[in-house]
Amino acid sequence: MASATATTTKGGAGRGALNSALFYVFLVLFVLVSLFPLLWVFRMSIVTKSNLLTSPAVTLTAPPVATSYGTVFGNPDFIQALQNSVIVAGVTTVICLFFGSICAYAIARLRFRFKGSIMTIILAISFFPAVAIIAPLFIQFSAVGIINTYWAMIIPDVVFALPLTIWILVAFFRELPRDLEEAAKVDGATTIQAFRKVIVPLAAPGVFTTAILTFIHAWNEFLFANTFIFDAAHYPVTVVIPNFATTYTTDYGAQAAGAVIVTVPLIILVLIFQRRIVSGLTAGAVKG
Amino acid sequence: MTSATGQKKRRGGWIKEEFGNAERRTAYYMILPALLIILAIAFFPIMYSVLLSVTSSTITGFGSFVGAENYIEMFQNEDFWEGLKNTLIFTVVSVTIEFIIGLGIALAINRAFRGRGLVRAAVLVPWAFPTVISAVMWRLMFQDQIGVINEVANGIGLISEPILSDTTLLLLGAIFVDVWKTTPFMALLLLAGLQTIPGDIYEAARVDGANVMQRFFRITMPMLKGTILVALLFRTLDAYRVYDLFWVMSGQQLESLSTFVFKSVRVSQLLFAQGNAASVFIFVTAFLIALIFIKVFGMQTGTEE
Amino acid sequence: MTERKAPRRTTGRKLNRRDFLKLGGAGLAGAALLGTAGCGGGGSGSGDLIFAMGTDTSGTLQNLIDKFNKQSKGFKVQFREMPTDTGQYFDKIRTQFQAGGGDIDVIGADVIWPAQFAANGWIADVSDKFPESERQKFLDAPVQSLIYEDKIYGVPWFTDAGLLYYRQDLLEKAGYSEPPKTWTELQEMAEKVKQDQGIKNGFVFQGDQYEGGVCNGLEYIWTNGGDVLDPNDPNAIVIDSPEAADGLAIEHSMLQEGVAPQSVSTYTETETDPAFLNGDAVFARNWPYMYALAGTEDYPDVKPEQIGIAPLPVAEGQGESASALGGWNMLINAASDRQEEAWQFVQFMTSEESQRIRTLEATLLPTRTSLYSDQEIRETVPVVALGEVALKNARPRPVSPYYSDMSLEMQEQFNASLKGEISPEEAVGTLQESLTEIVQAGS
Repeated sequence: MASATATTTKGGAGRGALNSALFYVFLVLFVLVSLFPLLWVFRMSIVTKSNLLTSPAVTLTAPPVATSYGTVFGNPDFIQALQNSVIVAGVTTVICLFFGSICAYAIARLRFRFKGSIMTIILAISFFPAVAIIAPLFIQFSAVGIINTYWAMIIPDVVFALPLTIWILVAFFRELPRDLEEAAKVDGATTIQAFRKVIVPLAAPGVFTTAILTFIHAWNEFLFANTFIFDAAHYPVTVVIPNFATTYTTDYGAQAAGAVIVTVPLIILVLIFQRRIVSGLTAGAVKG
Repeated sequence: MTSATGQKKRRGGWIKEEFGNAERRTAYYMILPALLIILAIAFFPIMYSVLLSVTSSTITGFGSFVGAENYIEMFQNEDFWEGLKNTLIFTVVSVTIEFIIGLGIALAINRAFRGRGLVRAAVLVPWAFPTVISAVMWRLMFQDQIGVINEVANGIGLISEPILSDTTLLLLGAIFVDVWKTTPFMALLLLAGLQTIPGDIYEAARVDGANVMQRFFRITMPMLKGTILVALLFRTLDAYRVYDLFWVMSGQQLESLSTFVFKSVRVSQLLFAQGNAASVFIFVTAFLIALIFIKVFGMQTGTEE
Repeated sequence: MTERKAPRRTTGRKLNRRDFLKLGGAGLAGAALLGTAGCGGGGSGSGDLIFAMGTDTSGTLQNLIDKFNKQSKGFKVQFREMPTDTGQYFDKIRTQFQAGGGDIDVIGADVIWPAQFAANGWIADVSDKFPESERQKFLDAPVQSLIYEDKIYGVPWFTDAGLLYYRQDLLEKAGYSEPPKTWTELQEMAEKVKQDQGIKNGFVFQGDQYEGGVCNGLEYIWTNGGDVLDPNDPNAIVIDSPEAADGLAIEHSMLQEGVAPQSVSTYTETETDPAFLNGDAVFARNWPYMYALAGTEDYPDVKPEQIGIAPLPVAEGQGESASALGGWNMLINAASDRQEEAWQFVQFMTSEESQRIRTLEATLLPTRTSLYSDQEIRETVPVVALGEVALKNARPRPVSPYYSDMSLEMQEQFNASLKGEISPEEAVGTLQESLTEIVQAGS
């Protein structure tokens, strides 16, 4: 907790060095704990099947082999699936942010009735167990002919991710100082203009954070994709990876390799956008 | 929620008031698209499920109206109670731990230090890892003889029997995995909230002689309250419907409310209507949880005047 | 591009769930968002017959379909790949049936599905097309798995049965010339080999709480003379018998006596393969597929010639061995408007020639009895000859429309009894009650 305000305690006393050492120890430990399972999964992806399933010691010391990666990249569906996942998660994120931020701004800033009710309804609907409504959804989607298309994944993903987007954005928008947009309005800007020109840029860290959370949410979706999609041309990675198996057994090595491959682009994505996550309002206070 | 009284007083006068005012009209236009998307897709299937829950329907056909019978049977079903119990324990424990660790991480990385970018990216990795695979991989790591975690836990005397064959250990394991997987979500959200607190407030407080703890409780916490409540609410509701973690990682041994729904609606031939009743139960209780956050914790849903 | 299909069927029944849902779907179509979203979909199908089956890694399935398409006049068959995981496949196909049948015409289905699908009216009765005289050319157990209320709902495609794998080399070294005939013998041999030759485990099988655990549990019950359903009355549950309880007690003793590792209660096939094929077990219960893995790149340690295969042992004083039947059948969607074409394709796939190709190239076991005396098959796929007795002894799991409910109960009780959380008597007592409830709730 001490770090809460460490940003501003620039010139502490002599214990500053100790504090900072402790801080790095804590950091390294923390990063290790959160990465360890993934390093292990990576290790699992580069050993043979029999070495993988003998004992942890064997898994750890076995000579590396690339067979699992061969299996994964040898499957043409996998590359296609990567592309499908990017499209579905990307479109979902854009739609969610577009409609979500407009809606969130109205809720955070404008006066009107039923605000609480609307927010609660939006939220509760998205928490209805998806497995219970999947058959009626299937029929709806068949009726409008979008079964086995990207939309059959994007639409339910949007429905179930929108509430998250709206609620988070409302929380961020509310924190922004009002005077800037008031000033814009005095200068003759409409509500919409004030929102677009003032609020959106100011809220960039919140918006980017929300975008990443929404993207990953859609990226990880499995149930809808597995139910509504029939051919490999449209499968996302979450459907293709578990299929590295036979009717009897699971090919853990190939699944591990697949999981590693699909996690890397996400890390890169985060690295690219992470500057945005921490820019905006407080850029002056936190320099990095 | 507040509309009922208002409606009575003015008898529809509110319609004029709401739509006569330009700002309010704009507000409704801005909300409408999102609301329509959600309602158009989800409203009908949900109503349908509600309807099924009060009939003797089966997977192939509509039944007759039976009132609360499915609900009564559900409440007499031991599996349902087992699921409810596990779900509640899981939700409360994992969300609490995630919040504490998540806040700590957010505070720690909300400062300038070398390698900050990498740490932030590393933090996100568990969350980015595909859920459908992570449950499988964790199961493998928990396996007796071949699983690394079982081996280590056994080696240091933490456990005396295989994790996967003991339901208490499995529940603990599920909590552990959930904390590992979703703390980043919490941390990132809280970090974004911290970013919106202007640095000069801290400066001012320091000049006034406030110490670290005072600054934390008087500035950070109050200003972060909105974000904290949103993060908590979402994690709570998300944990409340835990499904694949239990179903896949525990090899179907752990029951949760959602696995109960899944088994009833998607596997069983007989419990179809009861499963729909359980869905409605989850829906209603999730709604209540949201209400508690709004009413009791004073979570604001907007700028109320 | 693969074309997209809109479901093309409307059933003309009374106002049922489907119609009700379609109303909703139509209302939805008007929604602004979908007005644009819908552009991507729609369009009528290409007219191909659609055949659904889990991923086929051998490639023989597509080859056979291509072969059919070359000779077929008037229509083509298109393969629709389903999830490899049987549970997920079941889930997916059931959702489509529930939503009105979807557009699948022919289904490759697990042997435990037909009764439920038939009871729900989802699959076509083929009794007329598949008369008694034809059925006799197939193994009996797979045929039985397709019969529901005296009608037959499909054709057996390929089969599977639980086998006892043993390490011939280790047994010989210990002075045993034959595999064990009874479970007690198995325990003795396993103990001796384990101790003398330093093998980690005596016996491995599938004890996890899942469908495979039901197969294993049933085998212990059957080989001790017990049963789940009364053979003479499919609505009578007879599992609460001393025979069934003792059967489960034998299963528990494997773990209790240390013949099997503690963790066998979490084993599926995935864990069984390496335990046996890395040389860490004397005996294993598994399906025939494991034989082909021995000595491959994945499992180089144990060679096929070190492995023997026998029918599962029985309890002391019991005569005939029994194995759980696995495998796949071919079914036709009742809502398909091309029953004749579908039947042509089913006949082609289950023909002697096609089964022969599938056996030789994908090492799947045929359901036609004549192929068991085919010399080339016996030589190329030794497990056919080695496992012949067991395959012919296979018994279907309870054939009931409520099998999926029954299975959930059995998975739980069998696993709990194996771990020793409850006694075998308690397990069969609880099952007697819950299974009876299930069967009665249905009738």
